[in-house]
Amino acid sequence: MTRPPRRARVSSVSVTAEGIAARSRREVVLDVAFDGRRIYSFWLHRDGARQPSGTWLVPWPQAIRRFLDGTTRLTLTVHETGQVVHDADVTLGRGQGRIAVENKAGQPLSLDKSLRLVQTFDNRSEENVRPLLDAIDHVLAGLKDAGIDAFLAYGTLLGAVRNGRLIGHDSDADLGYVSRYEHPVDAIGESFRVQRALVAAGYRITRYSGLAFKVDVVESDGHVRGLDVFGGFMRDGYLHLMGEIRTPFRREWVTPLGRATLEGREFPVPADTDRFLTATYGKNWRVPDPAFHFPTPASTHRRFDGWFRGIRTGRPQWDRHYSKRRVPGDEPSELARFAAGREDPATPVVDLACGTGTDVLWFARQGTPATGVDFVRRGFEAAEELAESEGLAAGFLTCNFLELRSVVATGGLVGVDPGPRVVLARHLADNVDRRARRNAWRAARMMLQDGGRLYVEFLAQRGDGGLARRERARIRKPAMVARELRAAGARIVERETVKIPRAGRGGGSPTKICRMVATWE
Amino acid sequence: MGMKDLRGRLTARATHDLRKRVTALEAEVQECRQLNLRLAELTDLVTDLLVPLARGDEAGTREALARYQESI
Repeated sequence: MTRPPRRARVSSVSVTAEGIAARSRREVVLDVAFDGRRIYSFWLHRDGARQPSGTWLVPWPQAIRRFLDGTTRLTLTVHETGQVVHDADVTLGRGQGRIAVENKAGQPLSLDKSLRLVQTFDNRSEENVRPLLDAIDHVLAGLKDAGIDAFLAYGTLLGAVRNGRLIGHDSDADLGYVSRYEHPVDAIGESFRVQRALVAAGYRITRYSGLAFKVDVVESDGHVRGLDVFGGFMRDGYLHLMGEIRTPFRREWVTPLGRATLEGREFPVPADTDRFLTATYGKNWRVPDPAFHFPTPASTHRRFDGWFRGIRTGRPQWDRHYSKRRVPGDEPSELARFAAGREDPATPVVDLACGTGTDVLWFARQGTPATGVDFVRRGFEAAEELAESEGLAAGFLTCNFLELRSVVATGGLVGVDPGPRVVLARHLADNVDRRARRNAWRAARMMLQDGGRLYVEFLAQRGDGGLARRERARIRKPAMVARELRAAGARIVERETVKIPRAGRGGGSPTKICRMVATWE
Repeated sequence: MGMKDLRGRLTARATHDLRKRVTALEAEVQECRQLNLRLAELTDLVTDLLVPLARGDEAGTREALARYQESI
């Protein structure tokens, strides 16, 4: 990995609507500040494109483009030496006022090393940092009770060891631990048990992979902070630490843990922090680099992907979708009406991938006991509250169709109540991959142990209506879905393809959905 | 065609075949790695649920299942 030299000569700086351009023969990290406040950093050569004039143009990061409308005093500083290479007012867009990179509440934002908009520590006062330190203590204590000696890892460790401070351009805190086990299966099993112990102790956990999860800590002002806990293990003389490290290492360089001071408080750190940070950031870890990218070898990615990952495919888009509170609609789906028209209203309904829970509430309000199942809890939160306040026979369960144990436990929990059932899977098959579909049919089979029917609906032809976009659906071949259902032991008793009429005008290519009714009787 | 050309062609074909075999092997190795998570999940399920389920009392079974489901 190349590092910026001690003395870089930066010249010909220009700021335009496209981005920031500058000339430097050598690679250099530059900090960009608006009105005296750091917004982001970049590597001139790595992140830029060479222009015919010999300068390097680094385009504005996507995340801040929407703010670039107005005037600001733009300061460009060589990160390592503090040398200011540009400091002048610039006007971008047509805006009249000052450029303000902040959230709706007026809190200043900047970009982290992955160029995401965050509240980084350099914007945060001491009273803002204290809750983070409390959160670290809280999670470390929870892990300790679960039998895990965790330590500061990644950027948090770097800040603590380098100068005892949180790194200004960082936005979160990372913890790590090295398992006493040496086989991936055992390390995953331990991670599951630790999660269970933390949940039992009242912590809220989101699992990233078989060996890493996030612990949510609710701070006094209601702000939810997620601390990442990266599991690791030793194997064949290598340290493996999610999600980036695989390097020759010795256990005694990790444990017994040492101590380091962070913002005036002591925290556990690996025994040999120099070796540990070298494994993470290379031998130049002492030189600050706010635009650092992990140069993880492809072989490490392959190993970690194969052993531990694949349980969150497609999830980020739904987390983003539900990051806004969404309320259930008033009208049920066509599939809900279709099923209700054929089934006894006393037969309980389960809606797989229930989203906001619209259909669940609709069934429950008519006296049909209904359960909604989805992998994003936030999606059905509002429906859950409504069901409770209206005293409805409606319940909701979180289930990740990419986690076998989640699927089997959910199928078992629903199936344990005897009697036939109606299971709906609307726009599930066209949203998830083959593995998740196989698990969804597995769950349906468990739920329909005592009879009943599964109603599946999915996009079969995209057409030029808005349905595919609205439902984020990809087309699926009916023959393929039928084959999968049969492979799961189902018998398909009905199958139809329905054209969706387009509002307002005729012609064009129609959107088509496929409906199937299956049974395990 | 000279000997050199022929050798060149044979080497190219051998390289192509080897590339294909390496790609297939990589996919197979990855498939094996993916069994780790699956095995860990099944072991976790059985270890945590076998005893309460085998005891056969309905309330205990339901509670164990609900607790397990919620803890994932």
